[in-house]
Order: sequence, then C-alpha cells, then structure tokens
Amino acid sequence: MIWEVFRQEKTGGYHTHCGNVHAPDREMAQQYAAIQHGRRKPTNSIWVVPRDEIGEINDDEVAFGGTTDRSYRWATAYNTTGEDASEVVESEDEQADAEKRRGEA
Amino acid sequence: MNVGAVKERAGPREFSPADDLPQEYREAATRMIEFHANSEIMGAYLERPFIRQAPSIDRKLAFSAKVQDEIGHGQLLYRAAESLGVKTREEMLDDLANGDGKFLNCFHYPLKSWVEVPMISFFVDGAAMRRQATLRRTSWEPYAHAMDKVCFEEGFHVKHGEDILKELMTGSQKEQQMTQEAFEEWWPRIIQFFGPTDDDSTHHDFASSVGLKQKSNDDLRNAFLDQYIPKAEKYGLEIPDEPRIRERDDGTYKVEEGDLDWDEFFTIAKNEYEPGVGQINGRKHAQEAVQWVRDTIETDTTAASGHAPQAAD
Ligand SMILES: [Fe+2]
Ligand SMILES: [Fe+2]
Repeated sequence: MIWEVFRQEKTGGYHTHCGNVHAPDREMAQQYAAIQHGRRKPTNSIWVVPRDEIGEINDDEVAFGGTTDRSYRWATAYNTTGEDASEVVESEDEQADAEKRRGEA
Repeated sequence: MNVGAVKERAGPREFSPADDLPQEYREAATRMIEFHANSEIMGAYLERPFIRQAPSIDRKLAFSAKVQDEIGHGQLLYRAAESLGVKTREEMLDDLANGDGKFLNCFHYPLKSWVEVPMISFFVDGAAMRRQATLRRTSWEPYAHAMDKVCFEEGFHVKHGEDILKELMTGSQKEQQMTQEAFEEWWPRIIQFFGPTDDDSTHHDFASSVGLKQKSNDDLRNAFLDQYIPKAEKYGLEIPDEPRIRERDDGTYKVEEGDLDWDEFFTIAKNEYEPGVGQINGRKHAQEAVQWVRDTIETDTTAASGHAPQAAD
C-alpha cells in the first residue's frame, strides 16, 4: 500500500507534499515517513495519507482560473494612486507574483 | 495543556488541532472565528444586490467576483472554527439563521444605493484588512492559514472599492454630493467597526493573552484612521465634525469615543437592531429557498458512494 507523505517544517507552517512510502498500515507508514522524510530536513510534523484516498484534478481536465480574461479580479488591475496601506501593498505584491507564475506555467 | 501553559507557549501559529487545548481557549477561539465567518457571509448578502445595480459590465464582473470571494472567506473560516471541536459548521449556520449568531456592526445597516457601496468595499474592507493582516499571526494555526488566503484576495477588494470611490468623487456634482452624504452616514459606523475602547471590551484580555488576538481595538482603530483619513480627504471627502477626531503631535489620530452612539452599537451587538434583524431573516429565507440544492447534492453523493458523505466541504 502506498502512502503519500506531507511534511511541515515548523510549527504553524503548511504541510507540503514531499514523497511517498510503501507500508502495510498507517502506523508503519508514519514510522517509515519519519525515517525517510523527517530525518535530515527540519521537521515539526508529518502527515501520511493513503494514496487511494487522494482525488486529483489536473490542467488536462479543467482550465484552472477559467479561459476568459478575468483581470478585473486582480488588485494589479486598479490604478488608484497614492499611498496604500502596507497590508494592501503586500496583498497586491502577492497577487502580482501569482500572476507572473501563472504566466510562466 | 492548562490555561497557564497556553499563555506561556502562545505565539504566532503555535496551536493546531494536534494540541490538547483547554476548553476556555477553544471557546474563545470559536467565538472569535465564528463572528468573523458570520460577518463574511452577512457582508456578502448585503452587497449582493449591487452586482445587478452596478453601473457597468466591468463593475458587475468585479463586484460579483468580490461577493463570491466573501462567501469563500466564510467557508474557510467556518472550517477553521469547526476544527476547534466546539461547534459544527451546521450549528454555526443554524445560529446565524435563528438570530443567535453575531456579526460585524456595519452589516446590520441597510445598503440602499450605489454611492454607499465604497463605504463597505473600500472603508469596511480596508478596516477588515487592517485587522486580518494582524491575524496572520494568531495562535490558532488553521485561522492563520485562512488569513493567508483571505489577505491574498482582499487587496483586490480594497483597490476596487477605492476605484469606485474615485470614480464617484470625480463624477458629476450630484454624485459627489451623494457620496459625501453616504460617507457622513457611514463614517461613525466604520469607526465603530473596531469596537469600543479596550477598557470596555469584554473579550480582549483573554484573547490577547493566549495569542488569538494580535492587536488591541485601540491600536487597530488608530492605525486605520492614520491611513484612511488622508485617503478620504484625497478624494475630496470631508470628514464629519462628529465624532471629533484629534490629531496628535506626531500626526496620528484619536477619536472622541463619547461622540459615538454606543447604545445603537450594543443593540446591534445583541442582534436587536431592526434593519439587521431583517437582514438576518433575509439570509435565512435565501438559505431555505435553496435547501433543495443541498438536498440534491447530499442524496446524489449518498447514492453514488453507498455511504453517508462526511461534512459537505
Ligand atoms: Fe472577506
Ligand atoms: Fe473583502
């Protein structure tokens, strides 16, 4: 049985996928994952999930974000001038970054 | 963990569902996140009619995307609240429908015309964002993670709201005047968004001592005024004489709180303010009207998988 492994580096972070292990049951999967994925890289917590329980949908099946121009959904589309509050600037920067990476994908 | 240990360990994103936390922490966090979730939903219902009333196709598109985002924020937050194990999402939604669920003061007032829209989508969203940015460092990890996504999206709301305000304040004389009137009506409510001064806030002390709340009402309100008074003035809005706002020597602002209507605020806080009651019931009816959709989804899922679905996320 294959178990997908998600590692969280430190408290409060996100669990991100880092690989998978063979194991007959959950307890063994946790132990293997701890050894394979939690030994060298900084690790605070690990999740193991049976592969069969994971649903996937990918960009062959669906156009993520739609196929029409939706620039109106981005902060970067609005040129209100002047000083923005720092949290608005931060959000806009995050959006600009996501937009750029979508363009590259 | 007992409350003492929680206070000692409290830090940004410190506690997750894997931790054994005292009931007092779980209840305080549930109350706070449920209030936040309810506010997203009630705000979305308040704004929804303006998708239709928006003056151009661009505005309709952007405004419908914004309202959709807000419903999404509600969903994220109910999940974060539910993960505390105190209340289920169903219970929270039922409480919102039957008038027990509490939500933001601003969403108890009627929104009557397009000139009022930027009062919500610029000023209230701006105030909310100011607060939400600090909550990315709350101690309940699922709440902080929800705030990451919410803050990512909110920049669009605030900038779009500001764009509407700018358009109105550079429009006809009549539009400018109506916008100024709307601003005068909404301004005290917007300031009350942050609640009463810290001395009068009942839940502040515990919530901040366990790291749930990162900034006090006073700090948030002042930070908001510092940023948004100059913004309002830049677009030609005149700040009303009341509540009196004093500028300190360092250029920051302070509100004379006695000038605000706290009786109305606390009537609202008990869900007893008439327009707000209408909005609660309006949402309840909308919820009931589409019960058949939820029933259909549930029945289909049950039939297809042969067992009852888990919470319909
Ligand atoms: Fe929101
Ligand atoms: Fe928003």
